[in-house]
Amino acid sequence: MDLGFVLPSASRESKDVDVAIIGAGPAGLSAGIYAVRAGLKAIIIDKGNAGGLAEEAPFVENYLGFEGIKGEDLAKRFKEHAMKYVEISERNEVKEIIRDNGIFVIKAEKGEYRAKAIIFATGTTHKKLNVPGENEFYGKGVSYCVTCDGYFFRGKKVAVIGGGNSGAIAAIYLKDIGVDPVVLEFMPKYMCEKAYVDIIKEKGIEYITNAMVTEIAGKDKVEKVIYKDRNTGETKEISVDGVFIYIGLIPISDLAKKLGVETDNRGYIKVSSKMRTNVPMVYAAGDVTGIAGQIIIAAGQGAMAALTAYEDLTFS
Amino acid sequence: MIPIWAPKVIEMGYIGDKDKEYLKEEFSKHLKENVKLLVFTGDNCQYCNVATAIAQEVAELHDAIEFHEYRVDSDEAKIYGVDKAPTVIVTDGDKYGGRIRYVGLPSGYEFSSLIEDIIDVSRRTAEVSEEVKAQLDMIDKPVRIQIFVTPTCPYCPRAVRTAHRFAILNENITGEMVEAIEFPEWANKWNVMSVPHIVINEDVQFIGAYPDEQYIKYVVDAWKKMK
Repeated sequence: MDLGFVLPSASRESKDVDVAIIGAGPAGLSAGIYAVRAGLKAIIIDKGNAGGLAEEAPFVENYLGFEGIKGEDLAKRFKEHAMKYVEISERNEVKEIIRDNGIFVIKAEKGEYRAKAIIFATGTTHKKLNVPGENEFYGKGVSYCVTCDGYFFRGKKVAVIGGGNSGAIAAIYLKDIGVDPVVLEFMPKYMCEKAYVDIIKEKGIEYITNAMVTEIAGKDKVEKVIYKDRNTGETKEISVDGVFIYIGLIPISDLAKKLGVETDNRGYIKVSSKMRTNVPMVYAAGDVTGIAGQIIIAAGQGAMAALTAYEDLTFS
Repeated sequence: MIPIWAPKVIEMGYIGDKDKEYLKEEFSKHLKENVKLLVFTGDNCQYCNVATAIAQEVAELHDAIEFHEYRVDSDEAKIYGVDKAPTVIVTDGDKYGGRIRYVGLPSGYEFSSLIEDIIDVSRRTAEVSEEVKAQLDMIDKPVRIQIFVTPTCPYCPRAVRTAHRFAILNENITGEMVEAIEFPEWANKWNVMSVPHIVINEDVQFIGAYPDEQYIKYVVDAWKKMK
C-alpha cells in the first residue's frame, strides 16, 4: 500500500551561506544539488512544500527516464535526492531581501539567512480567468488544483477551462478518478501535445474549441459555466458542479524585482543563457524565467544557475 | 492508495526503510522531551489499522516517542474529547492535552505535518513572529481550528501546521486536521469543495494556506465573536 508519505525537511537555524536558493521546485532542487556538489554552502527556502507546481501535475510523461510518473512522486524523488546534499527549509516564506555590504540578507518566517549569491527559482502561480463568478465561487466549485479538490466532484460534471497541457492532464486525471470533465478551449484547435489529444479522444472527454468563457454562475455554488462560441457568436451554457481553471501561469518575481532584477512586461525574470540576471550575483532558473514551463528544462536551468554562481563566486 | 474495495491487509512496514533512516536522523537531531502518539480506533473503521501501524512505526524510530492505542469509546477518548476514529493526537500528555490532532489518516502530504508536530511537541515550542505571538497571547477562551484537507493537497500541510503551531503556543487553541475524503458528511456540512478549508469555532471560515499574519486575523475574529 502506497500512502504517498511526504517527509518534512524543516531546518530552523538562521545561517550564512554562499548561495541561497528561493523556491524548492525542480529548478531550485537541481540548483541545490549542483551548488553543494560544486563545493558551495547552500540552502533552499520555500514558502510551501518542496516540489513546486510539479507536485500538482497528476501525471508526467515527458521527464527523461520516467515513462509515466505522478507529479507528486517525481517531486518526492527530486526532494529526497536534493535532501542528501542540501538543507531545504519548507513552509518558510521569504518576506524581504535586502543588501548589506555586498551580502544579501534574507528575512524569512523561520529565520534570517545571509548569502553571497541568490538564485530565484520562485516559479509561477495560477493565472485567474477574471470573469464574474470566479472569485465569488472560489471554494464553492471554482478550483485551481485537481489533485487537491478533484475528489469532491466524483460522479459529477465539471468544466476544465483551458485546453493546454495542464488543462488536458487535469481533465484526464478527473476522468480517471470518476469525475465527468468537459474542456473549454479559447483557441480554435487542440492546444495540448498530441499525446494528450490521443488520450482525450480515447477516453471520450469532450473538448470544446473556440469557447470564450464569460461567466461562472450559480446560486450558493457553481451551477453552470457560460461561454461565447467564437465561431458563431452564440452564447452557450453548460450545467456543471465545478470549474477547474488552467489558463496559464503568472511568474512570482516580486522579491526579485525589489532587488532591481529586470523582468519582461509579463513579469518573467530576464536571464542570460548562463542564468545571470542584470544584477550581479543574482540568478534565476525555472518557470519564473518564462522560457518553457517544463520540469526537465527547469531542472536544467537550475543546474546551470548553480554552476554559474559557482563560477562567479570562485573566479570573480 | 489501494482501491477501497481491495481486501484489507494488516501489515507492518508502511514507512519505507529509506524514509525510516531519514526520520531517525531527524529525530535524533531535534527531539528533546517525551512525545506521546495517541491513536483512537473503533469498529467499521477503514483506516484505523493503518493509523495504528503508522504511529507504531514512527514511535519505534526514537525512544522519546511513546505509542498508545485507545478505543474511541474509552474513558481516554472522553478525556481527550475524541469521538471519531481514527484520531491521532500528538501530545506531551499534559499541557497540550488533545489539542494537536488529526481526524483521519495523516498520510500523503500530512505525514510531514505529523513529523513536524512530533518535533515541535518534543521541543515544547514552535516558531512564530513576535507580532503573531502578541496576537496569540490575547486568545483567552477556547478556540477550535478545524482544517479540512485531502492527502494529495500540497498546500494543506501549511494550513494544518499553522493551527498546530498556534495550539502549541496557546493552551486555549485546538488544531484539528480533518481528512475530508474519509469524512464526507462532515466535509459536506461545511460545503468543503476546495482544500485547505478552515473552520474556526464552527463559525469563521476561509479557504487557502495563508501566512501566519493573515491566519491569526481569522483566529482573532472568531475569538472576538465569542465575547
